[in-house]
Amino acid sequence: MNASGKPSLNQQIVNSGEDGPWIERLAARDSGALREVIARHSGRLHRIAWRMTGDAQEAEDIVQEAMLRLWDQAPRIAARHTLASEGTGFRLGAWLQRVVTNLAIDRLRRTRRLTGGEVPEQEDEAPLADAVAEAREDGSLARALIAALPERQRAAIVLTYYEELPNAEAAAALEMNIKAFESLLHRARMALRQAFAAQEGAQ
Amino acid sequence: MTVNPQGHDGGPILPGSPLARALGGDVVPPLAPGFADRVLAAAEARPAPLPELRRRPGRWSGWRTGRRLAVGVAGVLVLGSAAAATGLLQQLALPVPSAKVVWASIAGTAQATPAAPPAPVVVATPATPAKVEIDGPVDTPEELGEAFRRVDEARQGRRAERAQIIDQRIASEIERRRAAGLKVPTPQEEARLRERIAAAKARREQLADQRIAVRREAMQRKIESGEALTRKDIAVPARARQPLAEGSPDFEQLRRMSPKERRAALQTIPPEERRALVEEYRARRSGAVPLPAPSPSASEAPSPAE
Repeated sequence: MNASGKPSLNQQIVNSGEDGPWIERLAARDSGALREVIARHSGRLHRIAWRMTGDAQEAEDIVQEAMLRLWDQAPRIAARHTLASEGTGFRLGAWLQRVVTNLAIDRLRRTRRLTGGEVPEQEDEAPLADAVAEAREDGSLARALIAALPERQRAAIVLTYYEELPNAEAAAALEMNIKAFESLLHRARMALRQAFAAQEGAQ
Repeated sequence: MTVNPQGHDGGPILPGSPLARALGGDVVPPLAPGFADRVLAAAEARPAPLPELRRRPGRWSGWRTGRRLAVGVAGVLVLGSAAAATGLLQQLALPVPSAKVVWASIAGTAQATPAAPPAPVVVATPATPAKVEIDGPVDTPEELGEAFRRVDEARQGRRAERAQIIDQRIASEIERRRAAGLKVPTPQEEARLRERIAAAKARREQLADQRIAVRREAMQRKIESGEALTRKDIAVPARARQPLAEGSPDFEQLRRMSPKERRAALQTIPPEERRALVEEYRARRSGAVPLPAPSPSASEAPSPAE
């Protein structure tokens, strides 16, 4: 069950085991296979991208970029996993989650560089007053709380809380070892609570 | 141990908590319709992926294999040439044929190995005869031969000294005439002069050799008859060696005469005797011919003056 109370989608689309046949079809330039992969994975990928960026158009661009990378790299992935031992099967969903997460983090960092704002040493967990007001107007306080987190803490919350991924799978998506990810997740939760407490105190 | 503190701030967000309710209000908008079609159209428009640059290990293409072989052969050639040039192969007793030999072997014109140069013929030099010591009077043929050898040796040295004196006098005379502004003989005239001098010298030496031969035969007969010869018998004083003709003035007599009388006396004697007297006078004056020792010993070398 996810944060919105809807039934979890993990059992439906992600945990499909090894995706070797899909990769082989994509490597053979089967557009039907790509359409099927989009139908199966784009929903979750779009949610991750949207919660990371907060922009619907940006989220669609990220998912599209991930799908095109899969389309381009499918022959190479298929060749590599054909040569690999049978015990190391390829999981298409995990690969796509890692690509989307990294693309979202890259875009957030690029946006921050382009705005020219200095990066504070200590992130200010408290949402800004206008964000709080906007969140109250939209009924989306959560958006402001998430947006106040650093990129990687934000990704940790999105993957584990909203998408209910196991810590190991979320750490793989962020290309971290499990201990480093749990430390990151702990700091993310603390920051989120402090921001929420600050927001409650501001009311 | 995992870093998952169950503390108050870093713990999991429990469902139903105020924070969970706040986060639950975030609703994700749906994907735009036609998203899959746009992705498929973009995928179809993308160019085909480029082949991998790195080849799989264990699969060498022909070009790569050939290049590696060429580099290896070139490296071996360079190292071999360097070793041959530095003489390393000779130190290792590896024969290095020259380019000419290699080409001859390729062209099939290789010649047999040239024979080793003949060993130099060692000419056995005659052993120097053992030096004979003259002890006392000369009474054996060996001692007489040794005395003759010493006399000949002294004569050779005297002839060389005379030739050197003649050359010096010719050169000094030419230099004196040149310094005085007189006429200097041309090279042809000088050559003719030297020829005349050489001819007179040869004639003189021929006469001397004939006299020496006669005297040596007489001395050999004396030795064979058992007589002993002293230094005085072998080295005759110069005055006595060449007896002047009957009525001719002696050397000492000429020396005591006045220049005018001496000139007149010399005109009375035959030319050969006159020339011999003049040369002996000049030799004594220059000191080239030492006077005979007053008490000669038979063990000493005889005087070259005969």
